[in-house]
Amino acid sequence: MIKMNRKKDKIMFLYLPLTLMITWTIFPIYWTINTAFKQEGDIVKRPLEYIPSAPTIENFVVAWKNVGFATFFKNSLIIGFFTVLIVIILSTLSGYALSRYNFKGKRFFLLMLLSTQFIPRAMLVIPLFIIFKNLGLISHPLSLIITYTAVEIPFTTVLMSGFIGNIPKELEEAAAIDGCSKLQALRHVILPLLLPGIVACGIFTFIYTWNEFLLALMLTNQQAKFTLPVGLSFMMSEFNVNYGALAAGSVIALVPAILLFAYAQKHLVSGMGGAIKG
Amino acid sequence: MDSPQQVRNMQTKKKFNSEKWIPYLFTLPSFLIIAAFLFYPIGTVFYYSFQHYDISAPFYNRFAGFENFVTIFTEDKMFLRSLWTSVKWVVSEVGLQLVFGMIFALLLNQTFKLRGLVRALAFIPWAISGVLASVMWSLMYNEHMGVFNDLLMKLGIISEPKAFLAGTTSAFIAVIIAELWRGIPFFAITLLASLQSIPEELYEAADVDGAGKWRQFIAITLPHLKNTIILTTLLRVVWEFNNVDLIFNLTGGGPANSTTTLTMYIVNLAVHGSDFGYGAALTVISFGILFIFAMTYLLITRYQRED
Amino acid sequence: MSKKLLRVGLLLMLMLGGILAACGGGNDDTSTSNKDESSGDGNAKITFWDENAGPQRTPIWEELIERFEEENPNIKVEYVGLPKDSAKSKLDTSIAADDMPDVASVQTSWLPEFAIREALLPLDDYLADSTLKDLINTGAIEFNKDIVQDGGLYGIPYTQNLDIIWIRSDWFEEEGVKVPETWDDFFAAANDMTTDDRYGYTIRGGAGGSFQLQRLMFAYSGFEDYFDADGNAVINDPENVEFLETYFDLYKTATPESDITNDYKEMIAGFDTGVVAMVHHNIGSFGEHNKALESDQFEAIPLPKTADGKYVAEGGNTINMSIFNSTKHPDAAWKFVEFINSAESQSYWNEQVGQIPTNSDVLEMDWIKEAPHIKTAFEVYDNPETILYKPPFYLPDYRSILDNVVDSGTQAVLSGEMTVQEFLDSWAEEMEKSEAKYQEAFKD
Repeated sequence: MIKMNRKKDKIMFLYLPLTLMITWTIFPIYWTINTAFKQEGDIVKRPLEYIPSAPTIENFVVAWKNVGFATFFKNSLIIGFFTVLIVIILSTLSGYALSRYNFKGKRFFLLMLLSTQFIPRAMLVIPLFIIFKNLGLISHPLSLIITYTAVEIPFTTVLMSGFIGNIPKELEEAAAIDGCSKLQALRHVILPLLLPGIVACGIFTFIYTWNEFLLALMLTNQQAKFTLPVGLSFMMSEFNVNYGALAAGSVIALVPAILLFAYAQKHLVSGMGGAIKG
Repeated sequence: MDSPQQVRNMQTKKKFNSEKWIPYLFTLPSFLIIAAFLFYPIGTVFYYSFQHYDISAPFYNRFAGFENFVTIFTEDKMFLRSLWTSVKWVVSEVGLQLVFGMIFALLLNQTFKLRGLVRALAFIPWAISGVLASVMWSLMYNEHMGVFNDLLMKLGIISEPKAFLAGTTSAFIAVIIAELWRGIPFFAITLLASLQSIPEELYEAADVDGAGKWRQFIAITLPHLKNTIILTTLLRVVWEFNNVDLIFNLTGGGPANSTTTLTMYIVNLAVHGSDFGYGAALTVISFGILFIFAMTYLLITRYQRED
Repeated sequence: MSKKLLRVGLLLMLMLGGILAACGGGNDDTSTSNKDESSGDGNAKITFWDENAGPQRTPIWEELIERFEEENPNIKVEYVGLPKDSAKSKLDTSIAADDMPDVASVQTSWLPEFAIREALLPLDDYLADSTLKDLINTGAIEFNKDIVQDGGLYGIPYTQNLDIIWIRSDWFEEEGVKVPETWDDFFAAANDMTTDDRYGYTIRGGAGGSFQLQRLMFAYSGFEDYFDADGNAVINDPENVEFLETYFDLYKTATPESDITNDYKEMIAGFDTGVVAMVHHNIGSFGEHNKALESDQFEAIPLPKTADGKYVAEGGNTINMSIFNSTKHPDAAWKFVEFINSAESQSYWNEQVGQIPTNSDVLEMDWIKEAPHIKTAFEVYDNPETILYKPPFYLPDYRSILDNVVDSGTQAVLSGEMTVQEFLDSWAEEMEKSEAKYQEAFKD
């Protein structure tokens, strides 16, 4: 929007701030990666090393093998995948209802969605544990998938309803009249339109499931069913301090999130944009 | 599961009163999941707020009536103190995140080389959990091996290592900065998205009128972003109010409770397993505070008045 | 128009249903807990919860479990590691919801509470019939019985710990400073060892600091009981006040400023990286120092004696193997408990971790005799004069008072917002309130 005319302006008002911005966001990540590749003694050695003098992958080996990160990683992926899938389906449905219809109880539903955000989740652990125990789902991935779905739906529903609200109704109708077959209409007209919104919801949900610690720990009683954040917490226990392995574990946890962003960055912005345009 | 037969039946029925039933049908699954797995547990929290309920000492459990609430308002010094910390925490977080998020969004909306990559990089902190962020920042804040001390000393700003998390004020600032790092991208993404929907012609017209950049920002950009700003700040206020991961892991609420927000206080009570009923009563109060705030906020800002 | 979308919606819902059903069906077999298996044919699967899992200790347990399963092919042990900070609340929840493991590693301070909630299986009879009978440290066993309300034995201690001070012996030698034997020596050393580029001592001001503070205060004042005859806590006795004032005076003059929020990892990192000369922790951190420093650079010394020359240690500084009474396989569970407490297993576990075994057969082994820090610990525990004081583990809020009131109080004193006297008075008051409430509930 603001047009940059002169080169000097461009440096002062664009490249300089951009550099600052990227330094600010990247530095903590860089430092963690730097720590993860250092040998144990070098992490605390003075003067500090800004690039590991003797890089090692020992820390990654410890994290991956001793603590069982491989299993946790897989569990997190499975739970993340199914939660994202269900959340997308459900929030598309309810988002559609909210944006295209006026119905009795709509305000109540919206209020209900908003008020779910008012409670610290730590308080819900015991009641949720009892519910899932009665359902026989403790340690079952489904207990986390369901809980995460419930936690995420309020926001993604609002997001989707905003998004669908900005898709012209006429497009849907046009597709129907065009004589597309029903499936074709879905594939070629509606899905592409929904895609950015779906991607935004999906990323949002995935990030939450990927990072959630407390419920993942409390609703699981089997080592083989723990998720990544629980594995990370093992690295922070008394008698188990190992900054290198902790940093390595953090880097492992970071990778999928970074890949996801690199891949979906474009959709994310247009997805959120579609949802919140006033 | 429904047989194709049933599905067909439902589709036939739809011809008569579908319009009326569709919204209910579509919201039902979400409604059911939220009701069963969020509202029911929230209900039990409200129930327990009227009980003395200590899971590690069942022999103390009994009906409490309003006792928990009376204690909170008459005896508990931590309540008002932590609430005040919450207010400071939320106001500074949301305020700063909004300002910097706006700056980020304006920058990222320009055209430059590698824009896609830069955007992706700028958004990354959003994907990092509070626990992970606290690990990263505590490595950097550390008095002995932290990189901040090293850098500041190299630059000659300080002469000996500082313990950032040790002072009551500096710890609060340190936590604010770490959470800021994690919080800016959310605003940046939503604002950037919103910026992209502003028609270019508006600015072109303003250029012709000779309006300066700042004037354009005030007259065109801000009004256009109004709804986005209202909605994201509201969500963010609620989220930051209840966000404890980073504080919990970075300072544990210390030193001397200087970073103990109301939610942190509640979580401490809940995690360290004393009276759950008391924690529940505090939760009910914090629920009430957020509820009143959200309603007032929406009313004052008249969000989506056309509705 | 909405015909299409309705159908799409229904289709999606069908898919969803399918997914849920598929998830549910596919995983059912793996989610069965121990309770679903019958014990009739002698095959048993038991779950074991480790209360301090991590890269260091988890592999030790896995090795021991492997050995056990080799010896007992019809018993399968499922290991579940819990992060130390959340282990207690995890166990609390599992007891409240009646979904407990078969066996768990349980800290002694949790025994009274778990016993009164009827979560644990009494082990008196099992031990009486076992070959372990006369091997396990009697003092530790008696202590475990002593602290629970009904006097039963609810856990077999497999390791013992002791608070000591780790010192950089090489620096002490260099500087010619006397290794502390009395409290005066200790304070002098903290100051004398402080130079331009290092500190003499480090205080744990953050999480977990309260427990260590309490042990220091009792070691100085030599009280045996937590409450006096009138039910007053001795924690704010003038002697304790006097000690703590001197002790906190070290802050910032002989210690790093960041001590105020120091938790375990920062505190230990300070010592292991050569920033501080002395640190108060326990022999369990031997492994960390051993990794970071050469063996002639550091050593363990006992906490100084009281004014009248006695060592003081906190009773119940052990970790136990306990069986939960919901188990379907008590005999298999006991076999595992017995196995872990055998000389061989205890030796393996404790040698790796660097703590004291409780099985007397192990004490004869070579590694014990060669480990100087364990020798130091024996010096304290074997001294007939040593006082073992008894913290009120039975108070349900004992731990939460230390975690919430004492930790933040420590920080308030260190940041100058509170005096030592006020701090100890509030600590005593909380404990007294809790004690009175407890006595009230159980006064028959």
